[in-house]
Amino acid sequence: MMQRALLRRFTPSLRRTFSTVEESAAAGMTLNFNLPHESIYVGAKVDQVIVPGVAGEYGVTADHVPLVAQLKPGVLQILHQGTAEAEKYFVAGGFSITHPNSTTDISCPEAVKIDDIDSASVTAAFEAAKSAFSSAEAGSQAAAEAQIDMEVNKAMAFAVGVSLA
Amino acid sequence: MSTPTTFWRLAGMSYTQYVTRAATALRNGLKEPAKTQAMRNEALSYNSATWAGGKAGSKKPVQVLSEAGL
Repeated sequence: MMQRALLRRFTPSLRRTFSTVEESAAAGMTLNFNLPHESIYVGAKVDQVIVPGVAGEYGVTADHVPLVAQLKPGVLQILHQGTAEAEKYFVAGGFSITHPNSTTDISCPEAVKIDDIDSASVTAAFEAAKSAFSSAEAGSQAAAEAQIDMEVNKAMAFAVGVSLA
Repeated sequence: MSTPTTFWRLAGMSYTQYVTRAATALRNGLKEPAKTQAMRNEALSYNSATWAGGKAGSKKPVQVLSEAGL
């Protein structure tokens, strides 16, 4: 009798606690997406943003670890609350800063909708940049500019489904 | 600074010059209505003023940053 009473007293209470992960995920993250000439999103509540960082693409949701990333020319995808299909922008570069309070600031010099990319002119520009690169002196400014053109046009082509080499 | 690792640094460009060039490449690859709109954002001009004794001298337009001593 005594032992049973003692056992009851000292059994740790197994009260069920609810995880708060679903709550913060439902609250979403806040996105600020700005260009020098236009504010695309200010304080927008979204589910997820997929960011093209130079070290690789990564997704940001609510409560993501704080992170500063330089962006490469590539596709930025924004998943709005309750949608399955992402809204895509092609960005030329810039920075993405994720703060501890689930806010992400993305600043880019230029961003366009994928539909506005002209695959023919991008392919032509890539080929022109490739020949400019091979004829330029290694390590010169002209070679670097040709390399930038190649990189951006290759990424733009990839965004519209054309694979260039 | 430590040894530059990116190709643009090695060629003597700053990040701003690199990213502005990338934005230009992006704008050149657009379809027509979007392209003319985007090209309006291309225009870039610099003014240079020399400060002395806490006062700015007169501004003069500068074509290339190296003209302003940068």
